[in-house]
Parts: sequence; C-alpha cells; structure tokens
Amino acid sequence: MEKPQLIKDGKRLDGRDFDELRPIRITAGVIKNATGSAYLEWGNNKVLAAVYGPKEVFPKHFADPEKAIVKCRYAMAPFSSLEEHGRAGPNRRATEISKVTREVFENVIMLEQFPSTEIDIFIEILQSDGGTRAAGITAASVALANSGIPIRDMPYAVAAGKIGDQLVIDVNKIEDNYSDADVPVAISPNLGRILLLQMDGNLTKDEFSRLLGMVEKAGTKVMAAQRQAIMEMYKQ
Amino acid sequence: MAEIILPGSKIAMQLKSNGTYIENSSTYANVVGLFDDEKKQFIPLEGLWYPKENDNVIGKIETRRSGVYVVDLDSPYKGIIMSKFEHTRFEDGDIVEATVREFREFDDAMSVVLTRPKKLYGGILLKVKPPKVPRIIGRGSTMINQITEATKSSILVGMNGTIWLKGGDINLASEAIKRIEAEAHISGLTDKIKLMLEEKRKKE
Repeated sequence: MEKPQLIKDGKRLDGRDFDELRPIRITAGVIKNATGSAYLEWGNNKVLAAVYGPKEVFPKHFADPEKAIVKCRYAMAPFSSLEEHGRAGPNRRATEISKVTREVFENVIMLEQFPSTEIDIFIEILQSDGGTRAAGITAASVALANSGIPIRDMPYAVAAGKIGDQLVIDVNKIEDNYSDADVPVAISPNLGRILLLQMDGNLTKDEFSRLLGMVEKAGTKVMAAQRQAIMEMYKQ
Repeated sequence: MAEIILPGSKIAMQLKSNGTYIENSSTYANVVGLFDDEKKQFIPLEGLWYPKENDNVIGKIETRRSGVYVVDLDSPYKGIIMSKFEHTRFEDGDIVEATVREFREFDDAMSVVLTRPKKLYGGILLKVKPPKVPRIIGRGSTMINQITEATKSSILVGMNGTIWLKGGDINLASEAIKRIEAEAHISGLTDKIKLMLEEKRKKE
C-alpha cells in the first residue's frame, strides 16, 4: 500500500502540531471490586486498568519468599480496532506488551514489603488508535496509586515517533503504521529513570536525544492528567 | 493547610511515618496521602492493612486443616487460629472477631496468627479501605459511638477494613459508614455525620 501523506502544511493529519498530545482524560476508582482501577481516554484510545492484590500466589511454586511477584495482562478487546491489529486473544504482540509493562511496574512497586504474594495488573484496551501500550501504562499507574499498594513513583508513558524528517509526539494509528520510527518511552519522573524504551525504525543519535527531550516535555501534561484523576477522588 | 500528595512526590521535611519512604535522606510518599505542614504529619488516604500485634480484626472461617482454622481477612495474608488452644468450634463460613498475636511464617506462607476468637452470629459484613478505619472509629471512639447511639445497631470495626453490623437501623449505619469512607479527607466530619443521622431520624 502506498504511504499516505502524513504532514500537510506543517500540521499532522488530525491538525496537531508535532509536539502536541491528543487530549487525555483519566478517571480513578471505576471498578469497585478491584483494589485499584482507572479508566483512560487518550484521543481515540479507551483503556481500562485494574489492580488486584497483594494476594496469595497461584500456582504456589511461583511464590518468591523475598518479595511479591507482579503479573500483568495486556489485552485488546475483540472490538477495539477495525483491522487485524487488535485481534482478540493471547498473541505474540499482547504477550510482549504484557512483559514490558510488567517490567515497568516491577521497578516502581515496593515488592519487598509483601513477600510470597502476587499483584495482578490488568490492562484492557477497549478502543485502540495507536500508542496503546503507553496509554495502558499511564492508566495502570493511576490504578496503582488508587489501590494504595506502596509505589516509589507514578510512571507515565508516551509514544514518540518520526515522520519523514520530522520528530513527533504521541503517534496515532495511521502515523504509527507509516512512520519512519516509533519509540514508546515510559518514564519514572521523580526517580528520573527510563523504565521502558523500545524503538522500531531508525533514529540518529542527535534525533534520539531531541526526541527524549520532547517526550519529557509532553510528560508534564500526562502527569497533570494523572494528578487530576487522583484529585477528583478527593474533592472537598 | 493540608495538601494532597501523590506517590513518588517529595515531602517538604524529613518524616518517618506510614506511607512514606526515605531515599538519599529525602522523604517521599509511596501512597496517596495528605501532608499537613502545620501538624507536620502525613496521613495516608489509600493503603493496605499491615498486621500489627493486638489489632482487632474480623474475618470469615475459610477452611479447617490439621489443627488450624484458616481465616479470610481480606488482606494479602491468611489468618490462622490454632484450634488446640480454643474451646469454641467453628464451621466454614462462620464470622469471627479476633486479636492479632503475631505475624509470622506458617506452612511456608506468611500468616497472621490470631488469638481470642469470638464467633459472631448473624449480622452483615461491610468492607472499607483500611486507612479509613481510624476515621470511622473517630478520636476516642466519638464517631462510632455516635452512629451506634443513633441507629441502635451493634457495630464492630476490624482494623483490616471489615465491619460487622447487627440489629437496629443497619441501612442507616452502613450509609453513614460509607459516607465517612468517601469523605475521610474532609475536616469536621463528626458534625456532618451527626447532622445526617439526626435528619434521617426526623424523617421517620
């Protein structure tokens, strides 16, 4: 298929600037049965995240007597996308994203406080439009804060990319499919650590460091949305 | 003025309390909480129950196996009652109130060893978030006494966030408790609940 023109008159297809995020809105505490939960709308992405635990490990031989273990399930709903991309059921892509998401949260949850237990994180993509792993991590982070499980920091994630020679932030599905590089990044803002960094495509060293700067700048807006979600739970 | 702090945010002063951790000699929150810089304290708004000696808890008997009753405490850890020390016999599904004796490894798993179990007959259970329990009890039990007085219910509050209610106006009592849970961060709550209870009683 021929590559569509993704940039017209210095704007992207949906009229955004290169460093502009899609609107983000998060609601915390939407699932009462869960220890913590959050619902996120990020542009056309709709994500539900829930956290359960700490609880007894099952099967028992997975238990770690030194610390808690984290289990993460990222899944796309069968109706989440128009194309094959969001096919339901466990597949190579969902398994990979579950793994990298789990590693993000293993680095922030204070696992040593809960030996021989497990913490479950569920991320369900209800509607997808590119950058869902970033959206999932951002939502799960709010769900964790809502759960009261002690965490060192609230991570956020942003998907950055490159279209032609132009670096962009928060790629949507069509940009993602035809971009020259696609870089999801998860950052722990207070610890100043990068917890997830994947790259599909090519970037020069200079482009890469400029892109990271753009991600951090966009991150302040994502953090503000996360903060807003928690604040709304404690309105006076 | 109290301010809401998110996990990972730095707290303006050195502080050792629930819901905080210290790294590189700075204090950070690890749960959502309120920091009051006048009283110099951090009050967690979210959190889990950490078993402490002499905590009163309420749970449900899950199973009985080799000399112990296993109690579901709605926490990461199971409660254990040694049946040889107790005269009362329990059935699966019984509701018990007990005191934490110790928190230790039992049968390859960390367990909460319970003592002085009391069987509770009838009534209903209500779940609240453990950090809100002190607020439901209130300073010197003022809050809980006020609810008991107005509704004539018997209420037992477990530190693990399980509350047992029996008799009286259960609906009103649980409504009041749910409201305290939702508004635990607001000051002057005792008076608000008092007003609410009085209004409801007048209607009847």
